[in-house]
Amino acid sequence: MSATPGSLPVSRLRWQVAAWLWLAFCCVVAVHQWTFWHDARFDTDVMALLPQDEQAPEVGIATRQLADQVTRQVVVMVGAPDWAAAQKAADAWERAAMSSVWDHTLVTPHPLFKPSALAGAGSLRDSLAFYAPYRDRLLTPAQRALLEHAAPASLMQSALAALAQPGSGLRLADWNADPLGLWPQWWLARASDTRARPRDGRLALSDGGREWVVLLEETTSGAFSMNGDAPLAAALADGRAAALSAVPGAVVVAGGVPLFAESAASRAHREVDTIGWGSIAGVLVLVFFAFGSLRPRLLMAASLLVGMATALSVTAWVFGQVHLLTTVFGASLIGCAEDYGLYYFASRQGAPGVAPLPMMRSLLPGLALALLTSVLGYAALGLPPFPGLRQMALFAVVGITATFATTVCWFPWIDRGTVRPTAFSKWIGESFARYPRLGTTRGAWLAHAVLAVACGAGIACLHVNDDLRQLQSSPPALVEAQREIGRLLGLASPGQFFVVRGTSADDVLQREEALKTRLDVHVASGELAGYRALSDWVPSLARQASDAALTKRVEDGVIAGVDQVLGETQQRARFDAAPLTLEHWLASPASTAGKALWIGAVPRGDDVAAFASIVMLRGVRDLAALPGIARSADGLPGVRWVDQVQSVSALLGRYRHTMGLLLAAGHAAVLLTLTLRYGRRAWRAWMPTAVATMGTLALLALFGQPLQLFNVLALALLLGIGIDYGIFLLERENADAGSAWLAVVLGAAGTWLSFGLLALSSTPALRSFGLTLLLGILIVWFVAPVYRSRAVPLLEKQ
Amino acid sequence: MLKIARAFVLALSSLLAMASFALPDAEATRLLHERLKVAPVLQGAFEQTKTLAGFKNPLVSRGEFLVARGQGVWWHTQQPFESTLVVTRTRLFTRNADGSASSLMDAQAEPGVRQVNELVFSLLAADLDVLADKFTLAAQAVGANGWTLTLTPRDPDIAKFLVRAVLTGEHDVQTVRLEQARGDTTLIRFSRQASSAALTPEESARFR
Repeated sequence: MSATPGSLPVSRLRWQVAAWLWLAFCCVVAVHQWTFWHDARFDTDVMALLPQDEQAPEVGIATRQLADQVTRQVVVMVGAPDWAAAQKAADAWERAAMSSVWDHTLVTPHPLFKPSALAGAGSLRDSLAFYAPYRDRLLTPAQRALLEHAAPASLMQSALAALAQPGSGLRLADWNADPLGLWPQWWLARASDTRARPRDGRLALSDGGREWVVLLEETTSGAFSMNGDAPLAAALADGRAAALSAVPGAVVVAGGVPLFAESAASRAHREVDTIGWGSIAGVLVLVFFAFGSLRPRLLMAASLLVGMATALSVTAWVFGQVHLLTTVFGASLIGCAEDYGLYYFASRQGAPGVAPLPMMRSLLPGLALALLTSVLGYAALGLPPFPGLRQMALFAVVGITATFATTVCWFPWIDRGTVRPTAFSKWIGESFARYPRLGTTRGAWLAHAVLAVACGAGIACLHVNDDLRQLQSSPPALVEAQREIGRLLGLASPGQFFVVRGTSADDVLQREEALKTRLDVHVASGELAGYRALSDWVPSLARQASDAALTKRVEDGVIAGVDQVLGETQQRARFDAAPLTLEHWLASPASTAGKALWIGAVPRGDDVAAFASIVMLRGVRDLAALPGIARSADGLPGVRWVDQVQSVSALLGRYRHTMGLLLAAGHAAVLLTLTLRYGRRAWRAWMPTAVATMGTLALLALFGQPLQLFNVLALALLLGIGIDYGIFLLERENADAGSAWLAVVLGAAGTWLSFGLLALSSTPALRSFGLTLLLGILIVWFVAPVYRSRAVPLLEKQ
Repeated sequence: MLKIARAFVLALSSLLAMASFALPDAEATRLLHERLKVAPVLQGAFEQTKTLAGFKNPLVSRGEFLVARGQGVWWHTQQPFESTLVVTRTRLFTRNADGSASSLMDAQAEPGVRQVNELVFSLLAADLDVLADKFTLAAQAVGANGWTLTLTPRDPDIAKFLVRAVLTGEHDVQTVRLEQARGDTTLIRFSRQASSAALTPEESARFR
């Protein structure tokens, strides 16, 4: 079955060619690495990890569009008991924070913040001029109701009263173009997107007994370096301190995507450091104790370096950008990728008489099988449609494959001389013989039965949790501040919205209006403060026509009445005969505020054109009202409710289920593959992992950990890694079982360390992933030798 | 959008403030503080002449007004039509001839109302600092007791609505002249001004 070292013919030339080719490939990677680190950019956007909507592409586009809008916005609110104090504190904040720069060492410092373009978007004059020809067809729902139902005489009375009132400032148009003063109210409704209002040249609002200054800033750069600095947080802390020293008792709340991104970047930096350096240090210490000399350590480090660099390059090349969490996860790969080198050196140590190349040749089938199972295990991560997981899967597959290739191609050439046994390696190797072994006795069957019942009971107690928030790992203070800002400003929620699609722009607008009619019911009942919709800015053609007809009828009457009373001869102003179109609006500066609601043309299977827009909700009173609001979409063609949290959570649940089934299938497939090579002994390689899978689930239940997709994915990986140990032991049980055991012990220790460190991650998903593997690897490690086929006599060791 | 809201509310607030009442200047703070007396409650009669583009005849209206610091402004037009405009800290509404109130804006729906009113009150408190933020002020002494104050908006978006406001007076503001865009002008003459320390119950009911 398994080959005796040196018994197989080895083609030196072919091996040499492989080694040189691999070197050439590594040079390419090195060049790419040079340019990559020269301008290292990591993706910090949590949205990038979330799946695209499976059914409707417009939902994905909408989500992305809403996110893009705010990627650089930082909102800072400075509150104090009175307005003067709030302004003073805000001035102090600005002096301190706005002077911050990205890098103090630069000669011309690049400022961190600049005032947001949002505040100055579009001038009133331009917008008024743009809308003036269409004034007659722009009505708020309340105005429409008033004009439809009020008595003509009382409307005329209001118009006369308004003329008598002081000033004419409430008017935005000539009297004969808006005799009832409808237009200013329409503009006020448009201004209600936020609660902040201008005051003394600033944005302000009053809430909860405090006066607030709202500062809208924009970061000057959207990317965050991985050097662990947090310049934004530092600048905000400076600003807060300055505000508090200027006005004791002032409150400063800051929020915005850049703050979350920066916090994620600096935490990821810390974790990559901990996991990466911790794993490397652990591996090198183990190698030192096991193999003594310097050469194995250098070779192992080189193979890991090549593996990680290749993984990073290929991921950057395929995905365009590497996500931060990928690097955190990738750092834990070190513990898994070292297995190949360890196995090689342990075997060399166990058989000093065999030359490096024949040794590698004899190890190759087992190593390849181990690589295959690991690759399959990691590839399983990429099955759910989560871009983040796919990136991690690719990173891992490339990383371990490159480490494998380095080990196989280069080690036999560079590794000269002998690997002398150390006291530590002897002790480990000898411990194998003394390790308890499970026979096929009645006691063994009984032990398995008891174990199965215990695991079964544990697994029965597992509870599942697919909440999306397991992906969320931002500091609670930051989350709380963000929520407070959303509440104070009355901002539209980016998490829940409607997507409206239709066959033309006007079709979309009409469908929006049907939806708005239903939403108005919720606004009237106070469940909702309001909504933001494109059709507020550009009504559908039908709505424009009916409103224009309504205002013409009413205003002609009012003007005639006023003319009669005052003895005037006013004529109603003329408006544009052509309707306001979406294209015209989008091309004008007047669309600045509402543009982001328009998605535009969306991909579609058949030939029919499709367009879509977003309708956002403002000020949802409480979450209990959401299902009722969501039902507004029921029965309306083209209207779709999007709840990010809910839909992603549902997706996580669905894939937890699917991956669970795939895991079972994977176990069957692995057992079949093993049978092809090992025949009736195959179960011995498979059993440790099976026991570990059951045991891990039971232990998770015991610790009160919920079952999530990430646990299941970790178990899939456990199948890939755990089988390696069974294979190593089975491969060399005739030749040199002690050295195989050494490789398993060292490999498992390294893997265990890496995933143990991953279990310390602040990202809950990675934490539960790490914890599952921590438990699983530990069980495989201790259980694997129990299933060896026969006791190895000590005499076989030299 | 925020800019639009800002300009709009600023324009609205200054016009309302101007129209309801107005006061003094920056270099001339001293002059006006000397000559103008400020009382918690001020009432009297007005005559307003509006010249509007498109109208052949000026619109003349007469009525009575009441200004209470911290409470609001009550502007009661008696001729040619009965109507009342009330501005309080939180609301802006008209009371129709039949006594029903129709709300134009309230602070709940439009937070800017609060600011409109604060500006009105700061004007009445002769808070020249607030005025100087939004207008360039020029004052002139007229005779032994009189003065003229000219306010020009600093913000071009406000200038779109209001070109200039000119106030004249002695102990009290006597006239306010608003020169608006589109050639509209409004001249308000005040008479029979009387000041008091507090509102009577009947008067405070007007603000509800």
